[in-house]
Amino acid sequence: MSKNSRNHRVFWLFIAPSGVLFTIFFLIPLFLNLILSFTNYDGWKQMDFIGIENYVRVLQDKEFYSAFFRSIIYTIVNLPFKVAIPLLLAVLLTSPKVRFKTLARTLIYIPVLLSALVMGITINWMFSQEYGLVNFIIQQLGGSPLEWGSNVVLATIVISVASTLMTTGFFMIIYIGSINNLSSDIYEAAEIDGANSVQKFISVTFPLLAPTTFLVTLLSTIDLLKEYALVQGVTQGGPGTGTTYTIQYIFDKGFNQGEYGYATAISAIVMIVFAIIAYVQFKTNQGGEKY
Amino acid sequence: MGNKNRFSNHNRRKQKKDTNIVLTSINLTCAFLIVFPIIWLLSSSFKPSSELFAYPLSLFPEEFTIDHYIKVIENGFFRYIYNSFFLAVVGTLITVAISSMCGYALAIYRHNVKYTNIIFGVFLLGTLIPGETLTISQFTVISELGLYNNIWGVIFPVVTTTTGIFLYRQFYLTVPTSFVEAARIDGAGEFYIFSKIMLPLSKSVTITLCLFSFMWRWNDYILPLLVLSDQKNYTIQIAIKNFIGANGVDWNSILAGSVISIIPITILFLILQKYITGINISSGDKG
Repeated sequence: MSKNSRNHRVFWLFIAPSGVLFTIFFLIPLFLNLILSFTNYDGWKQMDFIGIENYVRVLQDKEFYSAFFRSIIYTIVNLPFKVAIPLLLAVLLTSPKVRFKTLARTLIYIPVLLSALVMGITINWMFSQEYGLVNFIIQQLGGSPLEWGSNVVLATIVISVASTLMTTGFFMIIYIGSINNLSSDIYEAAEIDGANSVQKFISVTFPLLAPTTFLVTLLSTIDLLKEYALVQGVTQGGPGTGTTYTIQYIFDKGFNQGEYGYATAISAIVMIVFAIIAYVQFKTNQGGEKY
Repeated sequence: MGNKNRFSNHNRRKQKKDTNIVLTSINLTCAFLIVFPIIWLLSSSFKPSSELFAYPLSLFPEEFTIDHYIKVIENGFFRYIYNSFFLAVVGTLITVAISSMCGYALAIYRHNVKYTNIIFGVFLLGTLIPGETLTISQFTVISELGLYNNIWGVIFPVVTTTTGIFLYRQFYLTVPTSFVEAARIDGAGEFYIFSKIMLPLSKSVTITLCLFSFMWRWNDYILPLLVLSDQKNYTIQIAIKNFIGANGVDWNSILAGSVISIIPITILFLILQKYITGINISSGDKG
């Protein structure tokens, strides 16, 4: 056997375990999703080919549009917080004037460890309508308790707080890594020019961190657009369908209403949206090689 | 911290001279506010019902009780903890084993095998398309394979992580191939070179991936909820979810259950944290 064909065989043996599992549980479902989206599969017996009927239906489905637009609005409103809070914390935690940095970094990272479900429950508990801590504080300050559970805007705020808390520590660590990799020369130059801390942040740190900010923005966008598990811990999509986002809509159609074929058609459309966003990220970061 | 570059040296040199009390206070206040919901959860879980559902609220329980924990454990929580550990430990072992082999092969054989980049590109599809959008057809495959209501049905589908393959590949790209050539000349077999020489080199990647994988599997929720129908197969996350009923939430139990679910992963994090918060891992935050 030639050396090269032996290399090929060994290469494939190393790839095989990942390759087989990836094929069975990712590539085949991907293909299956496409096939099912052209059928009226009900998860049980019925499975007839119905052409593009599902896709026509999705494009006319008002409920889908509302869920999708809710996701978009939720994403746009939350993005600034998801990106800015970790950035400001990272700047604070790399400042030479701040002490107890390791302690702060550990504490800020702890919420990242929680499951989305438990984080949702934890925040829900603080914001519970009766006997919740936040309403208690509001009442102590002389206000009247807010209806966190039954007002769509307030319920969305509760989910947003939980969502931001869950990712802040992780993105902060990414920012700290990038800030530590910046050259000190440029700061010394800025100091000689008499720049103060705020000026240094605006005209040196922030522009130099642009690639990191871009990465964090894209990761956050994808996280927010596919928010599901967290919502299950807070509102389960309510009040009404006020916090039902795209992924939950797919799950409701498929698993709860047995319209598997239709749900896979929605999935296919949503997948394309995600793939476009991730592709932009991939191209811009050369597959993450810069990080 | 592994950042031994000029900037942090510069930081360290100046640190002694001028500590800013205002900035330090802001720093500690922010950290406290971010971790506070968890402190509140912990404190609440030790309060009797009479204190949980009555104003005024206090930060610490006036009457300390572990009744909620006893109730949760009597309801079979040990079984769920065991199932979660099984899922997390076995899942992590498989993930580390197959990701290291795959990442290694994609990097080391890149000069011998022409299509390594194409194969890597196929694996990268896993990051382009979020698992949530595939769940319905994935569930169909799991059922067809007879893995419904089987713990392996929530392990096999998730153990191939692009992040893991990516981390190992990036690491082994930095190892000179002459290293492998030398071992081959000495007569070492390919698998021996990998397992005895190359794998120990990537210790930092392995530890990072272990922590992340354990965390992902321990916190897995969507797939187990769909696949595991029999109560004896429930993981801790499903057990917690079941405290949220149609008529409201069983707060007594859910608070204690949530605290129990946080403990193992927090301990693991505190032991391994210098590997996580010290190095820059930003290749993805998903399973």
